Amino acid sequence: MEAYLVAIAIIGAIYVLLALGLTVQYGLTGLVNFGHVGFFAIGAYASALISMQGVPLVLSFVCAAAIAALVAWPIGLVALRLRDDYFAVVTLGFSETVRLTITSEKWLTNGVQGIPGVPRAFAGLGVGMPGALATLGAIALVCLLAALMLRRIAGSPFGRVIEAIRDNEDALRALGKDPARFKIQVLALGAALAGVAGAFYAHYITYLSPDQFIPLVTFYVWMAMIMGGVGRVSGAVVGALLLMLFLEGTRFLRDLAPDLISAVDMASVRLGAVGLALILFTLFRPQGLVGDYTRR
Amino acid sequence: MFGQLLIAGIVHGLIIGLAALAVTLVFGVARFPNAAAGDTMTVGAYAGFAAHRASGSLLLAGGAAVVAAGLVSLLGYLLVFRPLARRPVAALLVAAIGVAFLIRAVLGLIFGHQQHVFQVPLAWPIEVMGIRIPPMDITLAAVAACALAAAFGVLHLTSIGRQMRAVADDPDLARVSGIRPLRVMVALWLLAGAAAGVAGLMLGVKTVVSPEMGWEGLLTAFAAAILGGIGSPIGAVAAGLLLGVAQEISTPIVGFTYKIALAFAVMLAVLLVRPRGLFGRVEGVR
Amino acid sequence: MVAGDALKNIALLAGQDRHISAIMSGMHSVHHESAAEPLNREIPPMTTTRRIMLATTAGALAMPQIVRAQSETFRIGALNPVTGAGSPYGSGMQRMIGAAVEAINAAGGANGRRIEVFSEDTQTSPQAAVLAAKKLIEVNRVRAILGTWSSGVSLAVVPLTNEADMILMNTSGAPALSVPPANARGLSYRFQATNDRFGRAFAEIATREGFRRPATMAFNNASGIGNTDGFRRAWAAKGNQNGEHVIYEPSQPSYRAELLRVLASRPDVIVMGSFLPDTTIILREWFQTGTPVKWIIPGWAANPQLVRALGPAVTQGIISVDSVSNEGGEAFVAYDAAHRRAMNQPGTSNVYAAMTWDMAHTLALAIEQAKSFETTAINAAIRQVANPPGEAISSFAAGRAAIAAGRKINFEGASSVLDFDQFGDVTPDFGVFFIEQGQINRRYVVKI
Repeated sequence: MEAYLVAIAIIGAIYVLLALGLTVQYGLTGLVNFGHVGFFAIGAYASALISMQGVPLVLSFVCAAAIAALVAWPIGLVALRLRDDYFAVVTLGFSETVRLTITSEKWLTNGVQGIPGVPRAFAGLGVGMPGALATLGAIALVCLLAALMLRRIAGSPFGRVIEAIRDNEDALRALGKDPARFKIQVLALGAALAGVAGAFYAHYITYLSPDQFIPLVTFYVWMAMIMGGVGRVSGAVVGALLLMLFLEGTRFLRDLAPDLISAVDMASVRLGAVGLALILFTLFRPQGLVGDYTRR
Repeated sequence: MFGQLLIAGIVHGLIIGLAALAVTLVFGVARFPNAAAGDTMTVGAYAGFAAHRASGSLLLAGGAAVVAAGLVSLLGYLLVFRPLARRPVAALLVAAIGVAFLIRAVLGLIFGHQQHVFQVPLAWPIEVMGIRIPPMDITLAAVAACALAAAFGVLHLTSIGRQMRAVADDPDLARVSGIRPLRVMVALWLLAGAAAGVAGLMLGVKTVVSPEMGWEGLLTAFAAAILGGIGSPIGAVAAGLLLGVAQEISTPIVGFTYKIALAFAVMLAVLLVRPRGLFGRVEGVR
Repeated sequence: MVAGDALKNIALLAGQDRHISAIMSGMHSVHHESAAEPLNREIPPMTTTRRIMLATTAGALAMPQIVRAQSETFRIGALNPVTGAGSPYGSGMQRMIGAAVEAINAAGGANGRRIEVFSEDTQTSPQAAVLAAKKLIEVNRVRAILGTWSSGVSLAVVPLTNEADMILMNTSGAPALSVPPANARGLSYRFQATNDRFGRAFAEIATREGFRRPATMAFNNASGIGNTDGFRRAWAAKGNQNGEHVIYEPSQPSYRAELLRVLASRPDVIVMGSFLPDTTIILREWFQTGTPVKWIIPGWAANPQLVRALGPAVTQGIISVDSVSNEGGEAFVAYDAAHRRAMNQPGTSNVYAAMTWDMAHTLALAIEQAKSFETTAINAAIRQVANPPGEAISSFAAGRAAIAAGRKINFEGASSVLDFDQFGDVTPDFGVFFIEQGQINRRYVVKI
């Protein structure tokens, strides 16, 4: 039982990191990024491939973050010229393009066959609980650092500028500040966080394939952020935990009432339960559990 | 070969165009990308399939698709999107994802997860100017043309259609001039649902009916809607055709995997040059 | 059909009482009645919807009770692709595990203990499958996992089952599953012939049928590509020239371009690494091009469902290849009957479901043989009960009797004769079926 909870906690913490990255982009700056899984994928594959060349894990994590941030740069340039809803779809297209590239460039990524045997984090501790707990600890630590960093950003002059971009970009421009540079930086920062999350994911699951990096993952991150409360670090954390509760908790519906729903129908019931939860949340608790701090 | 690809692209493009029409109507008036449009298409496909299996008539299937998808779409509006009307885009999009999941779950419970296939008679191709055209393509194209004609008829020839366009242009002005928003919105969501339903039916006839079929075509529909210019029905259809044809024709060059990304590449390229899309109004730049 | 079940379930969900559910429970596969009892004694009768609403919180409270109440049964996990790319097959696979277990329990259980099935959906996604597997392993405390389908899922789950000292029985094709690191502990059993074997069978058949210019079309996943790669290697090894090779993406609205590319090279036969939905679409489009060509298609795609979907004209002459199952034998008959009951379709429409039926039987017989519930003993017994020499057995009851009488058995299943090699892979012969006038007839058998 504990091992299961630790597994959920690890995946949950990865979603926390993803949500933190998205919080910087959308919560603080108002960039509607629906291609977050693209950065996640880049981080995962980069770290996996680099570490399988013999590079120590810590270094490959840093590389993963850097590469993801670098890819964010041209996306940022695109963001400058497009309004919210267009940008959403463009970023969605970006993440699909990343997935298709991973699928096609077999020489690099082994395509759909995937990459088995990615080095496990804390492999020295073995594959049981100690290794899992160490992994959880590492991710939690990184989340904490990211959260602290975000808090400081939010309170800094940089933070005020990007919140101004979210709330009233024209006014900002009237004051003589060019939002372009800030948007790119914010996108890169969020992407770097997603890249690190991807690296953790790769070294935990130890098997990568392109079908793990579909837009649904991005939607899950958005769900987490909205359910927790946009614009706040605590919102990202609470939201990710809520997300895991919904996704995994629905498995137990059947264990409680086994005669009602056949195993096969359970899959649909779970999907419906998640969908319903989303609808109800947006309808009745739009500010999320923690509260929406982006005004609106 | 080129001719065949062109024909295939046109039919594919018509399906995308209809789906994009559904997306752009909602996008233009309710101002958010409706992620439930794909699953509304799936509703149309299943309704059409059930009707066809019971009656053997494609006409009835079309009717069932239109009615079922329209109703589901309207329900979504009344129960979910209307209460959320003034929220930010992200909230509406997330709610739409929830609606999409819910629709898919219900369809899965009712119909199961196996594929269903339309039993339509298959025939040898007709040869026109050296190009072989399957009769099924002609049927589907005709269906699409009728659907589009009906949709545009409503939009341009009826008063409710005029009101819809007015609301799309400028909602506040429309309200000031006495247009009652609820009626317009009801008509809008019915129309958008119907268009999605027909697109879903066409896709189901052409391929197979499965619970996830609509969701998979969603992104291309979004791309077409944006490419054509949000809120422009003509733009959506034109962009759909453009993307469908481009995807098919580009395969010898781009390959079968990347051709999917082509839709996004084309959309992005056009947006960077012309942020409002092909037919859109000047609103695209931040 | 499934719809009937589902509609009844929906009615139940709408808030009717447990009385109905008690009647309905006969329709479903074996479940945890013992777990349900303590819960219902402690909590006053509630409407169904309220029960579900308490799910997440009550789940945490209920879990220790669930674990305690299940120590008298042998628990297995059915981890199958109910949704996602494998959804054409997953529901059948899952139901057949349940049906097989029912039959086994009715015959007295494995080594005297009832088998209990816990089912989860992999969503044909490695990430979802990992969490589902973790739940099965850690919370439901299953001792074996049956029926992972996609190679990605199996490759992601096998480290977990290895770590938990459990047997994993899968139907995946990827070569990586045979060898370390995936199969380092020898606990993974593959009930479907490897891609490589299939490919070689295809090549044998193409040679025997006198084809000269084969082209290949592959679904873009590990299995589809594995099959066609296996064919191309084997074909080249015979000294032949390989033709056009097209890989196509899943869930596209049209495969016209891919088809045209292949047909442009004028092949005499197209060898497919494909699945049911895409095969349906491709064949339909092909027929409407009017170009004559022959097809060699794996049995999980060229099956009765395909014939029903497309009709006799389109499917005339298609060569369907599958591991040999003894269609007249008792195992297949029993499986077929169960499949028709549960899915309202003949058993031949889902070869993976036959494999999962066999998985449950093989496991139960191995437990019976080992007279133990420990993985090591069971693992050693699997080849003892499944491989020759021995008395050919095709039902659990007969196997149990033979083991009790001290005879060595050789279980022959519904999907194949189930002879496992040193990697845990089945080494079946391949049946070559021709679709003629809407009937699928086996003409001959190919041995690799």
